[in-house]
Amino acid sequence: MSSTALSYTLVITGAPWASQAPQTALEFARALLAAGHRLDRVFLYGDGIHLASALATPPSDEPNWPRQWAEFLAAHQVPAVACIASTLRRGLVNETEQARYELPASNLLAPFEIAGLGEWVEGRLKTDRTVYFHGSGA
Amino acid sequence: MTTLIVIDQAPYGSWSGREALDMAFSLAAFDQPVSLLFCDAGVNWLRQGQQATELGQKTVEKNLAAAPMFGVEAILADGPACQRYGLDDSNLLAGVTRVEAVEPIIARHTDVLFAG
Repeated sequence: MSSTALSYTLVITGAPWASQAPQTALEFARALLAAGHRLDRVFLYGDGIHLASALATPPSDEPNWPRQWAEFLAAHQVPAVACIASTLRRGLVNETEQARYELPASNLLAPFEIAGLGEWVEGRLKTDRTVYFHGSGA
Repeated sequence: MTTLIVIDQAPYGSWSGREALDMAFSLAAFDQPVSLLFCDAGVNWLRQGQQATELGQKTVEKNLAAAPMFGVEAILADGPACQRYGLDDSNLLAGVTRVEAVEPIIARHTDVLFAG
């Protein structure tokens, strides 16, 4: 148990399966809660938004990172936001954006939400630590 | 909190640099002090006369031109990297400050963030 509990914002920019970022971030998130710290929010940016897809369907004997993250977020009531500009580019939308852009479907996985970069700015200001999980950078 | 956003990859091959720029603009729009540092192949962002229409993209020069309007404090370029990529006063964008070494720049910011 840590003597000083800290609050954290995690930013994930690497996509599942294309990078280890979502998996590493999940292990980090579990470890920081186990150590008595607080996870205030998770922010998905760039390719990291693919973690919030409700349609990811890996073979049943492989880990399903979006589902594992969604279960973790729900269990610990951690808000998670995907950047709206990143999601629209990459084809990840909720029902609001589906209606706005007259798209044939929506595919945002609950409890992820879609919002702007202001959420990231606020997270940096309000929490003690902001930690980034990038992809390969290639 | 003073933030330095580092772009170390050449433009056009990936959207990560543009998205890092959006992060910088967002911080500046919320009155958070932020500067940009271009190093390694990232200095190619700062070349005059880019013709991205050939690639079917918008030139990053235009994106960068918005930096002062948003209130980005400085656009910095790693001097040795500029030299390696043939960038000098004749072909570097206006408003860019070349630095001899990046270490002191990184040291004077409380937060340093790399483009994903």
